[in-house]
Order: sequence, then C-alpha cells, then structure tokens
Amino acid sequence: MTEPYAVPVPRGYRVGAWEVREPLATGAFGSVYAARHTGGTQDTVGVGGGGGLPDTVALKFLPTGTGTPRQLSHLRDLVEREVELLRRLRRPRLIRMYETLTVDDPGHPRLDGATVLVLERAEGSLAALLAAEPRPPAGPALLAQVCEGLQQLHRAGWVHGDLKPANVLLMADGSVRLADFNMAAELEGTHAYTPAFATPDYTPPELLWSEIGERGRRIRPSADVWAFGVLAHLVLTGSFPLPGGTATARRDAAVAYARGTHELRLSPELPAPWREIVRACLTRTHADRIGTDALLRRVTGATGATSGTARLSLRLPRARRRRGVPAAAAAALVTLAALGYGIARWVDDGRDPGAGPRPGGTASVAAASYGAAELRTDRDVPPAYRLLIVETAHDCGHEEVSPALIAAMLKVESDFDPDLADPAKDEYGIARWTPSVLRWWMNEDGTPGETVPQPPFPPAESIPAMGRYLCWITPRLDAGLRGDRGVLVAVAYRTSYRKVNDAGGVPPKYRDYADRVAHHLKEYTPSGGK
Amino acid sequence: MYSIIVVPPPTTEDEPARTQYRLAPGERLVFGRSVPEDGLRIGHDGVSRRAGEIAAHGTFWTLSNLCAHQTYVVENPEGAGEHIKVAPGRLDAPVPFEFSRIVLPAAGDLLPVEVWAPRHDYLRGEDGTDGEPTAPAFSVDRTKRYFAVLAALCEPRLRGAPHAPLPTMDQVVERLRPSWPAASRTSVQWNIDYLAVKLRLKPGPETAEPGPRLNGKKESLVSLALRFDLVREDDLVVLAAPSGRALR
Repeated sequence: MTEPYAVPVPRGYRVGAWEVREPLATGAFGSVYAARHTGGTQDTVGVGGGGGLPDTVALKFLPTGTGTPRQLSHLRDLVEREVELLRRLRRPRLIRMYETLTVDDPGHPRLDGATVLVLERAEGSLAALLAAEPRPPAGPALLAQVCEGLQQLHRAGWVHGDLKPANVLLMADGSVRLADFNMAAELEGTHAYTPAFATPDYTPPELLWSEIGERGRRIRPSADVWAFGVLAHLVLTGSFPLPGGTATARRDAAVAYARGTHELRLSPELPAPWREIVRACLTRTHADRIGTDALLRRVTGATGATSGTARLSLRLPRARRRRGVPAAAAAALVTLAALGYGIARWVDDGRDPGAGPRPGGTASVAAASYGAAELRTDRDVPPAYRLLIVETAHDCGHEEVSPALIAAMLKVESDFDPDLADPAKDEYGIARWTPSVLRWWMNEDGTPGETVPQPPFPPAESIPAMGRYLCWITPRLDAGLRGDRGVLVAVAYRTSYRKVNDAGGVPPKYRDYADRVAHHLKEYTPSGGK
Repeated sequence: MYSIIVVPPPTTEDEPARTQYRLAPGERLVFGRSVPEDGLRIGHDGVSRRAGEIAAHGTFWTLSNLCAHQTYVVENPEGAGEHIKVAPGRLDAPVPFEFSRIVLPAAGDLLPVEVWAPRHDYLRGEDGTDGEPTAPAFSVDRTKRYFAVLAALCEPRLRGAPHAPLPTMDQVVERLRPSWPAASRTSVQWNIDYLAVKLRLKPGPETAEPGPRLNGKKESLVSLALRFDLVREDDLVVLAAPSGRALR
C-alpha cells in the first residue's frame, strides 16, 4: 500500500450533491477532500442541511463502513463526537458543518458506509502555515482568534481535547476556525470524558500517563488552556516551550516540570506580555491554570484588539451562568484563603476571572450571605463554609446536588464539626470521610490519591470531595425510586447507590438518616426556591 | 506520573504484599543491605551495603553497579535468554527491556529484583498522517505474554458474541497452553495485574468499599481493549500454537 490517505477517494467521485476534487489533508482517522457543488440535484440524502450551501466545501471522509479494511470500533465514537458537536454548536470561531452524508456504494467496499461531513472549506491549516513560515507576523492576531474559539467552545460546555496547529484552520479572509472535534467532549460538571488519544506535545502533564477508565480519559477545559500555551509559544518563537529534540524528550521534560524538578524556561524571543500569558497557561497543575475567559481578556489585551478580524473579542460576554454576586464572591475569597484553600481554584473555571479583591462588604458579611438564594442564611450553617458548600454544589451539574443538600448532609454527618474524629467507625472530618474511600474522590482531576490519605481532612478537602462523590452517584440512581432524589443521593453516600437501587428507595436501615437529611434539606432551602 | 516500577525480591515475612516502588522520570532508588530510609533494603548478608542504584528516565531506566567486585546480570524474562551484563563500577547503564530481572548474586543465592517499564512505546501500524499524530494513550507489545493473555480474554467477544461471558482463569490457561506451555493461573494473574498497571486502569470507586475487590478487573481490561481496538480479530493468531508444534 503506497496510499498514505486513510480514506482514498477518487477525483470526480460523487457524494450527495458534491463532486470530489483534490485531497486536502489526512489524519489517522479520516481524510479531507475539496469538493464542489454539482448544482443539479439539491437532494436530501443528508441531514442537518440548511439553505445557502456554498459552491465549494471540504468533505471529511471517516471510514465507518463495515467493508473498510480497518474496522475500528472506536472510530464510531470519534465520529459521533464530532458530528454531535458540530450539529449542536454553531459559533463564529468553530468550523461550520453543512450536512452529513453516508456513502451508499457497494461497488466501493472501502467507501461504502463511510460517514462524510460536509464542512466549510478552509485555505489551509496553521500547521501548514508554520511549516511554510515559522513565526508568522500575524501570529498574535491568529492566537487571539484561536483563544476566542476556545472560549466559545468552553462557554458552550465542551472541551476540544486535541488543540494543535493541524486542527486550527485558516480561512480565505484570514480568519481562524477550530476544527477536528473527534476528541471533543461535553462537560459533565467540571469534567468531560474524551477518548484515550492525545498529541503528546500539547498534552498537559497531569494527563500524560493518567489513569483511564472505561469511559475514557477525564479531562477539563484547562487541558485546552495548556495546549493553547504550547501553541502560542510555538507560533511566536518557532519552538516548543519545553526542551528536547523529540516529542518523547519534551514529554519527559513536561513530567519533570510538573513534579517541580525542572523550571519553565521560556524562549527569550517571547514578547513580555505573551510571556505572562504563556506562563499562566503552562502551570504545573491544572488548578493554577488561568480560566478561559481571563485568558481571552489577557490575549486581547496583548494583541491590542486592533486587527479587524479580532473585533469579536471586543464585546467580552460577561453573561454569568449563575446568580453570582461578584463583590461578595471576591470578598469571600478572602475568607476562603483564611481556610487555607487556594484562591486559584475558583478563578480556574473562569467563574470570576481575574477578580481581585474589590471594595465592598466585609469578608464576614459577604460570607454570611453567600448563595443566599439557594441556602438560607438564618439557620445554623456556619458562614465560613457557605462559599465552599455553594460552589461545590455548583461544580456539579446535577440539580439534586444543591447547596441545601450538602449543608443538610454536613449537619447530619458531623453537625459541621471540622475536627470530628470517629476512629471506631474510621470516619473523620466535617463530611465523615473514611480514608480509604476519600482516596477515590480527593483529587479534583478524578484520579485516585497515590496513597490512602491520613486525617485530619479539612473542610476545604472534605466538602469538594463529597460533592464529587455525590455528583458521581446522582446519575447512577434508577429513575423510578421512591422518595426525594436529593435525600436518595444522600443515602447512597452513606451506603451505596447499588443498595438504594436494590431497595427501590431508602433501605429500612437508613430511614432515620434519610429523615434527618430531609428535615434539614427543607430547613435550609429558601422558601422562594425550588 | 511514575514510569518505572521496582519489585523487591521476595522475602518470607512480607511475601503476600511486596511493596512496589514507583519511580517518576528523574527519580532514583538505591538498593543494598544498608541504605537510607527511602531506599530499597535487601536484608541478605551476601549483598553489598550499597549494591546499586536504579534511575528512571522517562520510558526506560538505568542501572548503576555500586558493588566493587560482582557483575550484575539484567535478564529479559520473556527474551529467551536475552540479557545484559553490568560490570562492577559501571554507572547509569541503560536497560532496554519492558520487563527486567536484576539478578544479584549473594553468597550462593540469586536474588531477583524485578523492574517494569510499562511506558515503552510501540509503533501502531496504521499511521499515515499529516503533521503530528494524535496518538492513542496505550502502547502494547504484541509479542509479549501479556498481549496473549489479553487476546485470550477478549477472544469470545471478538469471535462474535459481544456479550459473551469472559473465560475463566482455567479456560485462559488452557487456551494459552499451546503457545505457552508453562502458563499457570499464577502467571496469568500476574499478567492481568501487569496489564491493569500498563493500561492505567482506573479502579472503579466501588472497589473502595468493603467486599470483593477488583473482581471487575478482567471485565474492565476487556472492555477497554475492545473499545480502543488494542486487540482485534486478526490478533487472535497469537493464541495459535507455533507451527512446528502443531505439525507433530
């Protein structure tokens, strides 16, 4: 086989209303060809069309047929991810999909059954541009648009998972589109699951050799932020930020950097404002990484936002997903820092990007009313824990895991006693964690701890870990169970979701516990709320 | 982010749970009869006080022979006698094997220290791509025994029945015997445990609860292997008997 193309398609081949022209690019999973509209049949083999089809498009062939030599079962998953994202998201900086087609051609067994994505036609990729011209003069403007694309993607609740120059497309008008969403995943709470593929040079250290579950690799938007840092360094200096002559050497350097044994030495050619931006992206841990909104603001600041194509960035959308009280949040960060909890964590998701402590309200007043709309302020929930409780609940996308539920559980578990120690039951801290169980939930990135943690477990660890576990339990409870879903989640935390499913509701042994949680859940829920 | 695992020689008292040392790139582990607390102590009078040092370098590792007079042999247990020798005083000799056994001669005994390098990379035959490849997170050596074990576990599902029950340990041992006459439940279980490390299987959170642990390990391995096409129907040839034997 001399054919380097993943899916060879002859010139002149017809799919739907399209006639295949020259090949454009190929990847491990599929091949892309230019195509032109034949004009004649506006047939409707495809789905998701929509009027105004252009004359020329790019056709991405993905070998999903049964007769192809490579029957890659995971390919279906990769294809579905891309189609799903492109069908649902239409954003200025994401490549546009016009329709999808399926080849029906028994005469070509290698093509029969292939999925074809009809995409906006680009001039080329950033990879091709960099190969022809390292350090392109338009670099900063291009990066600003790449960053806009990331922000549009993250805001819509998706992670790209494979940002690199080959997946950044340049259009005829000089604007940028993000493409190749085979690794993309929709966020579930703070994480998404992507297939276990990665491009080592753009993979953050915490994902190199990370544990992989049956649903794939758990990633968060900060993985794209790391990749953006690498990309920016490459575009602006012509070299990778981490040293080494091969991708393997650079991967090892990334691991050594993350472990703290190496420092980050950026190229002296990197302009000063970009040095700070790249540093904010390439932090040792995901928790310290800059959020996407804040990143975009800094990038537009660095590029001056003067280029016409980057004008979109001028209207920074500040629509907050949540009923935020910015001043209170900023002030409450002070309280949080006093609890010994990293401020960076909250800035991480871009929830309140770049917010320094602002004037307005004393810390204690702000903390005491934080999240008042979801958690009553006139009950016995200690103000010091309100921010943790409210934000932990918000980190989970499930409605059941509410601030009031977490507060009610903490009340029942420990009466908000952060120093609880019950060696007889092997339970410690405000959330009564058993050390061997906490191990599975202690890390924000979803990996288990290297070793079983030792108490004490401060609230700043216990409560978010509790939230992660509750968030994991929620979708595992059967649909038709008797009782309040929130209370059932709490009971499953005490015993296990299987026991609750088996019992069809609250198992008799846990009735008392359930009643107490239900009592406080009601007590802590504001009357105007749900 | 470890890349190298060191398994100390068996000792009678802690045989059930041999502590494994996990080294990240750049980390070093000194071993011998009298070593600092973070080293690997080998309590045998025939072993030097500081016998040697293992250093993890990304996917491979190096061995320093700190002993004045003994040559160490590093064997590849699956390499049909393949080995390297590390002379006394040699520092940072690179070891290329995925599995290694350092044999320490000690007053008539031979003490094995096992070193695993599960991050070795292997070519995937299908890459014909522009630019930097998007690589799968797994890299397996199709000539290793662990691959045969994985193939045997996946076989019923690859042969057609997507929800076929997994073979039992005894069935796996039987299935592997033509190509691997010495296969046993223990050696198969060892390979399953190694696969779980190599494929970085995330143990399910349920395993943290009391009760039977990791009984889903085989199931998880198979679903991961099939989902990411680590084993395909074509690969089942590794289970066939070598042709010389089959002809007899």
